[in-house]
Amino acid sequence: MTLAIELEVKNLDFYYNADVRALQDISLPIYKNNVTALIGPSGCGKTTLLRCFNRMHDLYPNHRYEGQIFFQGNNILANDVDLINLRSRIGMVFQKPTPFPMSIVENIAYGLKLKGVKNRGELIGRVEQALKHAALWAEVRDKLNASAYELSGGQQQRLVIARALAVEPEVLLFDEPTSALDPLSTAKIEELVVTLKKDISIIIVTHNMQQAARVSDMTGFLYMGELIEYGFTEKIFTNPDKKQTDDYITGRFG
Amino acid sequence: MNIEKKREIEGFIALALSSLAAMIGLFWLVFILGDVIIHGIGALNISFFLHDPVPAGMEGGGLRHAFIGQLMITIFATLIGVPIGILGGTFLAEYARRTRFARVISVLADIIVSVPSIVVGTFIYALLVRPLGHFSGWAGAVALSVIMIPVVLRTTEDMLSMVPWTLREAAFALGAPYYKVIIQVVYRGAAAGILTGVILSIARVAGETAPLLFTSFNNNFFSWDMNRPIASLTVTIFQYAMGPYESWHHQAWAAAFVITVFILILTLLGRFFLKWRYKH
Repeated sequence: MTLAIELEVKNLDFYYNADVRALQDISLPIYKNNVTALIGPSGCGKTTLLRCFNRMHDLYPNHRYEGQIFFQGNNILANDVDLINLRSRIGMVFQKPTPFPMSIVENIAYGLKLKGVKNRGELIGRVEQALKHAALWAEVRDKLNASAYELSGGQQQRLVIARALAVEPEVLLFDEPTSALDPLSTAKIEELVVTLKKDISIIIVTHNMQQAARVSDMTGFLYMGELIEYGFTEKIFTNPDKKQTDDYITGRFG
Repeated sequence: MNIEKKREIEGFIALALSSLAAMIGLFWLVFILGDVIIHGIGALNISFFLHDPVPAGMEGGGLRHAFIGQLMITIFATLIGVPIGILGGTFLAEYARRTRFARVISVLADIIVSVPSIVVGTFIYALLVRPLGHFSGWAGAVALSVIMIPVVLRTTEDMLSMVPWTLREAAFALGAPYYKVIIQVVYRGAAAGILTGVILSIARVAGETAPLLFTSFNNNFFSWDMNRPIASLTVTIFQYAMGPYESWHHQAWAAAFVITVFILILTLLGRFFLKWRYKH
């Protein structure tokens, strides 16, 4: 199997509050149509790394990136990158479901409208397609105009995934997407993540190591802002090279 | 005396004192409202709403001129005050979030809310009436809007701050620019709360007399002209209640009743939206 590279992180350092270093010399490739899991104890920098891919840190003052992240050949950490375009190509799903205070349809159509899709027929078609893609269509087809807040937590999370998928991103970032959900909803999201990699590349941050083992192809283990080990998930979980990785996945710390 | 007995007595004293205080407060409230209702309803009739005043001392006539004047002043005050208040609140809660500047403005707005309204009246007098050389409806509307702005501003700021930050991040993550995030996502989340603030701010200024005395003054004749002195219910109540005629007193009672009911309706409307917001 040959792996095409979607994103390539090179010698990335990240600072917040002007000079607090949160990431140190991170380098790793993210492969196309793969699920890449980032694991590690709380505060290790895995979410910080995830939020570099769509430049979410740019919303807050006093941050600094050093190094590069190449996305299809272009450094997305460059100053002149169009963040609006970048974020429509690299979508994100958050820890807690974040439906907008609107109807189900309007939620999904939101990103499309931002992209300038105005034709009503096209909007409806793509909303349906996105909801089917996120395995939510059957549950909401009869109440598309209901408020998104009427859905359960698990449904809301799939709605948010559908909303992100509607704009047809190339990469989707998941920040602990199931930590607020019950086991059944979690299983549905995990199943979805695995199906989605046919079309897009996925990076998922998770606290749950079984989850990382179940859904991902590649796994990176971070500790104190450094990437300790990166490789095939199977290898990381069965025969890691580093002792720290072994200690973490066997539950000796973290 | 054992400790249980002591606590029981202390509890009884606290209950008695607070009940007494509540009763004293309620007594005046019921007294005032009852007086307004009894005298007001008796003096109400159709011509009160449809006709302008008749010459002093004659029976009949109404306060149509004051209703229209009051309505004009209040509507224009709302049109001036609400956009400024909402935009200012948006600036504080979004663009200047967590800055010292925003905190200072918030505190100042809170102080302005409690400034006696007659001070606002004299301020606008010096700013608009003196330089222009005459009282005007516009000056009245501006005076009321100055009272509204800090109320709307603070409500907007509070309501926007209550919209979870993650919601904004989610919109940013879809590629939305900040102004669209605010207008399309944050405002929608805070709409009912902001609307409540707007309604309550209208209720707040609808009963003001002092700021109008120095600005829109009063007018015994019907007028649409906001460039001239214009009648208002509150100043008319003041003038009629002080006047020597029995018929004026009746009309002042009726006007007081109408304005009280108007404010009551606004307040209920505001509360309704507040409840509606928590349901959704």
